[in-house]
Amino acid sequence: MAAKLELQRVQILCSCNARSPITQLYFCKHCLKIRCGKCVSHEVDSHYCPNCLENMPSAEAKSKKNRCGNCLDCPSCQHTLSHRATSVAVPDPRDPTKTTTKKAYYLACGLCRWSSRDAGMPDKDSASGPWLEPENAGARRITDLSDYYHQLAKQEKMEREHKKFTRRRAYFRLQEKYLSPGAPGRRRSSALLSSFTGLALKDEQATIIPVEPAVASEEVDALPNKILTQPVVLEKICTIRQRLQHPDHHCVSVEQMYPRHKHLLIKRSQRCRECEHNLSKPEFNPSSIKFKIQLVAIQHIPDVRIFLVPNLHYGKESIVTLIISNPNEKRMSIRFDGSNPKECEDTHATAQVIPPEDELMLGPKDPTAEFDDSTADIQYDAYNDNTEYVQFRKAHKLGVLFKVIPQRATDNVVVVFTLKYKYKNTAPALNSSQDETSSPAAVWLEHEVTVDIGPLVSE
Amino acid sequence: MSTSTGTMPRPSIKIGAGAVVCVEAELRGDITIGPRTVIHPRARIIAEAGPIVIGESNLVEDQVVIINRKQLGQEGPITMTIGANNVFEVGSRCEAVRVGNNNVVESKAFIGRDTEMSNGCVIGAFCNITSHERLPEHTVIFGDECRRRLQADKPQAQTLQLDFLMKILPNYHHLKKSTKTKSVEKS
Repeated sequence: MAAKLELQRVQILCSCNARSPITQLYFCKHCLKIRCGKCVSHEVDSHYCPNCLENMPSAEAKSKKNRCGNCLDCPSCQHTLSHRATSVAVPDPRDPTKTTTKKAYYLACGLCRWSSRDAGMPDKDSASGPWLEPENAGARRITDLSDYYHQLAKQEKMEREHKKFTRRRAYFRLQEKYLSPGAPGRRRSSALLSSFTGLALKDEQATIIPVEPAVASEEVDALPNKILTQPVVLEKICTIRQRLQHPDHHCVSVEQMYPRHKHLLIKRSQRCRECEHNLSKPEFNPSSIKFKIQLVAIQHIPDVRIFLVPNLHYGKESIVTLIISNPNEKRMSIRFDGSNPKECEDTHATAQVIPPEDELMLGPKDPTAEFDDSTADIQYDAYNDNTEYVQFRKAHKLGVLFKVIPQRATDNVVVVFTLKYKYKNTAPALNSSQDETSSPAAVWLEHEVTVDIGPLVSE
Repeated sequence: MSTSTGTMPRPSIKIGAGAVVCVEAELRGDITIGPRTVIHPRARIIAEAGPIVIGESNLVEDQVVIINRKQLGQEGPITMTIGANNVFEVGSRCEAVRVGNNNVVESKAFIGRDTEMSNGCVIGAFCNITSHERLPEHTVIFGDECRRRLQADKPQAQTLQLDFLMKILPNYHHLKKSTKTKSVEKS
């Protein structure tokens, strides 16, 4: 769809001065401004597994290292693994001469046909339950280190709070000033401070268990001889990507690869940074793709699309048709302001554009009209369209003629104009609490539109 | 049947015992189909540059094209051989002159004439293999970059699926008569 609509060619200037296509923009109904993904605050609503769609609170997600407990990824191609059941023949425990069949479960990848049997993982007897995972040799060291850093962070926090406390008293600040900067906590506790938080600080310090630092060694194991003598079989060696998936195992050959737990995804909501209203809030249920709040720009501001472009020549005036469509179910007035690239330097424009001077009226959007062609062409005369500017009108769309004079002999022709539109807040319930008498007032809003019309015709 | 050409004396189609070949399948040229092989309707097997010999218990699904293509400057017929227990999934195209046993060609995959399939190989969906080589045994080619890996075991034979098709296809399609024995048993 992106290619069909050529979304990159019509870009709208956001309130943070970035240009993006209309589909990537939000429209804050409360401060009446356009927001893009870079100028809203993102919040994590929930964590969920994209495969089993299980919801997980953020604390649990953190403790599970943001991975799903049940779903596994293929170590070879990172595709989701599926469980397969087969029956295997095992000798009967009562009568060793006979064999009975038993259900066995293993993991298999549908894309690259990797299976847990390739990795030498034993089959499981039951469909549920965890898979045997190799022990991480460095796990202990990692927990030791992270515990140590936690303690340090805690101590630092205590010290900060302590400083806040002491700074209020001038005497202590002086004392701090004249003492050497080294080991401030201990020095401070020597004086009057001992009656205050210094005691607690001292206790905290005592509990820190130092970890032994890692020692770098110059001696490295020599390369095994077989590296020089045996030919390399590329199919048996892990790719860099596969190795990086397993930083804890450093698997070299494909037989050592073990499945990884699937990464969790998040549902996030976007919030306007100025008024802190939600612009987009998904439903909590991971299997739902609907939104509770979705203030996307395409439902609020007029959409501009390229309709008809004639041959463009350098320095000559051509008439380009753009379609402006109304997203609202009420009429909307629009105006344009053209710009000349010679006058303002900071735009990307390479052509002068002369838009219609009059105020134009967009028809109301009627979602049912699209299914009914016969009634579509009624009462268009009521709009009194000036044929100088308006090429055609259909339902909520308007084909508007723009005069374009390319000013640069190379590159694509880009025009920049300001689109002004009369916006009426269609959700009056939100501000009715403040003053109930006034109906939602229509306001003129404007934003800059950059349109890449296409290449010049070579002379 | 197609008319005979200069290089091929008399195009003939031999269908082994128990093979299920639907009438709607297009068979052109000198073709031998082994016993217990299932050929779906709308599959095309075209022996242009020489005979095609298909072995036992193969499964050729709809819209599959198996073609022994005439090359420029080719002298004399070249026989295209397909072994046993191979699966050609929907819409795949095979031009390889030599195909071993237990291979799987997934949907929309393509194997060029210069590539030789050994045994137990899997060509993933939409993979395009035209290299001049003999694929090592148990090679799996997958993904949009045609990545490769070796698997430990050959893909499982589709015996159950073949049995099912042999039972169900005659109920809804007319079959080509097998040439050697009297007729295919009809359920």
